[in-house]
Amino acid sequence: MFASAPFVLLAVLLPLVSVLLALRTSWQQAYRYCLPILPMPALLVGLLAGSDWGLELPGLLLGGLWGVDELRRVFLLLTAALWLTCGVFAIGYLKDHNLRRFCVFWALTLAGNLGLVMAQDVASFYSFFALMTFAGYGLVVHEGTEQANRAGRVYLAMAVVGEMAILAGLLMAVQLAGSGLLMDLPAAIAVADRRWLIMLLLLAGFGVKAGLPLLHFWLPLAHPVAPTPASAVLSGAMIKAGLLGWLVTLPFGEVSLPAWGDALVMVGAVGALGGAALGLLQARPKAVLAYSSISQMGLMTLMVAAALASSEHSVVIFAVVALYVLHHGLAKGSLFLSTAMALPPGRWQRWAMWLFIALPGLALAGLPFTSGAMAKLAMKDVLKPSGLGFTLAAYLPALMTAGAIATMLLIWRFLWAFGADARTGTNSPGLWLGWASATVSSLLLFWWLPLPPGLPVKPWFAVMQAQAWSLLWPVLVATLLAGVAWQIAQRRK
Amino acid sequence: MTLSTLMPVFALLTSLLASVVIFALPERGYRLRTVINLAAAGLKIVLVGVMIWGVAQGREYEFAFNMVPSAEFVLRADALSMLFAGLSALLWLLTTIYAVGYLEDSPNRSRFFGFFSLCVASTMGIALAGNLFTFFLFYEMLTLSTYPLVVHRGTPKALRAGRNYLVYTLTGGAVLLLAIAWLHGLVGDLRFQEGGHFAGVDPSLHGPLTIIFVLLITGLGVKAALVPLHGWLPQAMVAPAPVSALLHAVAVVKAGAFGIIRVVFEVYGLEAAEAMGLLTGLALVAAFTIIYGSTRALYQIDLKRRLAFSTISQVAYIVLGLCLFGPLGVTGGLVHLVHQGIMKITLFFCAGNYAETLGVHRIDELDGAGKRMPGTSVAFTLGAFGMIGAPPLAGFITKWTMGSGALAVGMDWVVAVLVLSSLLNAAYFLPIVHRLWFAEQHQAWPHERRWGRLETSAWLLWPPLITAVLMVLAGILANVPFSPLSWVELIVAREAAL
Repeated sequence: MFASAPFVLLAVLLPLVSVLLALRTSWQQAYRYCLPILPMPALLVGLLAGSDWGLELPGLLLGGLWGVDELRRVFLLLTAALWLTCGVFAIGYLKDHNLRRFCVFWALTLAGNLGLVMAQDVASFYSFFALMTFAGYGLVVHEGTEQANRAGRVYLAMAVVGEMAILAGLLMAVQLAGSGLLMDLPAAIAVADRRWLIMLLLLAGFGVKAGLPLLHFWLPLAHPVAPTPASAVLSGAMIKAGLLGWLVTLPFGEVSLPAWGDALVMVGAVGALGGAALGLLQARPKAVLAYSSISQMGLMTLMVAAALASSEHSVVIFAVVALYVLHHGLAKGSLFLSTAMALPPGRWQRWAMWLFIALPGLALAGLPFTSGAMAKLAMKDVLKPSGLGFTLAAYLPALMTAGAIATMLLIWRFLWAFGADARTGTNSPGLWLGWASATVSSLLLFWWLPLPPGLPVKPWFAVMQAQAWSLLWPVLVATLLAGVAWQIAQRRK
Repeated sequence: MTLSTLMPVFALLTSLLASVVIFALPERGYRLRTVINLAAAGLKIVLVGVMIWGVAQGREYEFAFNMVPSAEFVLRADALSMLFAGLSALLWLLTTIYAVGYLEDSPNRSRFFGFFSLCVASTMGIALAGNLFTFFLFYEMLTLSTYPLVVHRGTPKALRAGRNYLVYTLTGGAVLLLAIAWLHGLVGDLRFQEGGHFAGVDPSLHGPLTIIFVLLITGLGVKAALVPLHGWLPQAMVAPAPVSALLHAVAVVKAGAFGIIRVVFEVYGLEAAEAMGLLTGLALVAAFTIIYGSTRALYQIDLKRRLAFSTISQVAYIVLGLCLFGPLGVTGGLVHLVHQGIMKITLFFCAGNYAETLGVHRIDELDGAGKRMPGTSVAFTLGAFGMIGAPPLAGFITKWTMGSGALAVGMDWVVAVLVLSSLLNAAYFLPIVHRLWFAEQHQAWPHERRWGRLETSAWLLWPPLITAVLMVLAGILANVPFSPLSWVELIVAREAAL
């Protein structure tokens, strides 16, 4: 039996205590090399811990309870794995200027991100959420440029408003539940007189982090402007905190709310397609990726909508959401890291590099035999309109296909922008190791990671073979469109 | 006379005697004065600690005699008085340490520390006072002992601020005296009593009691800086930093707030005050003060002035909490008495450090100060986030409890006030934090001094670090026995039991 409790504590305390390394300027080089160590206890918990247990900390805040369940375990796995690879990348990426400050904010943001995944009481959850938000500001504005400061201002302003919405929503929910534990909130919200208000506050408050349309303005500014490893964790891991916030507070499985489902489908569709459309207009590769994250969160919002609309499906939908989170987080992390990589001079190495940069992107679009194909197929399975009793459910398959095409278009746009920007040269070992481990975990390790247990067990390889064409044609359509666009652009020159 | 009778007297005498001895000491007796100061402060912490322990066990410490016929002088240690006494004993020690470092080489230190101890003695008296009459004596003593501290620098600006302070506080005192005398004439000498005196009082008395309540709150509201009685506070920040720290965190504004607590809880009684409809008006005044203070703070460019307006806003939280007349809301208000004290004293210590070490007074001069003074800036950052109410710091505990309390009694609009105030707090504190850590220093510090290896004198550095740690602990360990929150829950349970 894996002794989880000390590791859960260590997972949060290690990054927090590491801040002591900032006491001396001369220790900052050591601190740089410690960054990949910080998420390791959390990764162990994610890999080895049994599900459904809690560590009670009665003296903490208003009474604490930490632990992992099936859903949180997947989030924890993604969070720890991505921060680990990005930590390795950061060793090679960071310059000495303000290194110490960056390490401090990195560690604090990490502590918040890991803590919020494991927190099962409202006060700790909200504390870690706030820690991640406020410490994340230090990552966004790190470069100190005018652009970074502007992005930071927008980030902070929207984040604070979001925090307040969350606070008000949680206060009302806790008051009704008569309990400070997250698990008691959904049932209380489900029967609340002012259910709409509480849900609206929580959806909007967490929606700021998740990049919902109209609450997203900070995201395409802040994600690209941060140092690359920070961009990767912002877009890969931290964006999911908003999603997790929804999953653990809203009344899933308690009551079917078709009207909310319809509304959220619309929001998700706008996010998925609108985010992609705006992303196509971006010239900087990281900005394209940031819009792609908005678009992907839109697709995940569709699943949240379905789960909210039909309570009996929520358990299995949660498992699929978790799978999607894992897939998107790793792929997006790898894509962001690749923006800082220089292309090797040799012709073959160059093409190999392009291939490995493109593959996580193709995974996002659902290329067969990638993590994305599995996520898409599982998603298609649970979003069958027949079982979901709300009006807009009929449009879900079409939306998913449109989303896949939009995603692939964005990936072409990204590769184009990256090609226009790319340097030729060498990369330091840290960069290589970080990028390669992110890419490998996205493409290969994914298949060995413990998948959410609620997922229907399938021979995924055979299913993908059978469904190859349905997965492939959106990719091909998008490629065709991209080719036409490329031709037009060339001719205009 | 047993020991338990004399404990409150001893607690009072430690600072009173220290004050007398310090006045008698020659100006250059630096070392002896510091030793006496610290010894007295340490002794007081021990005495108060013993009483806190005793009160938790259910013991009572009371000292009383008839001063004039029909007016008793009562010193009493109950759970509520220990909340305030504990806070002031702790912060007195830290502020004394700070003041020793701050006033190094400046003139008139003997006078300063004499009045400083006198001021703390008054605060202790206010905490321990067992009836309105005793309370009033110490309340006025506080006015007179703080005036010399405010004008300590002797500049025209300081003298003007001091005059203004006296006009406000003496007028407030007069109104308070009038109200107390009227109440005395109406119902006789009333001791503070858990649950209050006026539950089920003859309805014919409601009229005069309402007017007296308004007068009492007006008199106390001057020191608590409730709008529109707050005019003296922003000006009084010309005082030296340790004085501002003490004024804003424990001594003056808290004396007013504590008085309001005593009047609402233990003279009128929460239920009676609610039944007479006295609390709604007070809640509106407090809510307005919260928003007004925060809004004005937004426009200040002087660091200490911004902190002063922030105090106006934050102290009104305490009053607003009382008006929520449910156990949770009251808990939130009372616990903020301590939380605001620790947070605000941290911020004022830090402001003093920037001024003493770098010569920085204006907010726009703080660019890059985090690199030069990391310890102070960490403390300031924590204080600022605490004020915003960011979890898991002390301010969050306040906001969460008050918000829950407001919802429990159906006063949902209070949550909106809390949210709006937090947004305003973020708007005026976060830009400062940004300047400290993320802006590059673009000019030489106006007036820099160096102290060897440390960023500033150790006397100045440790107090804000300690209070910052206390603030974090008050939040993170809120559920542990003897945390401010647990103690306040004890008080509220005792108030409700009667």
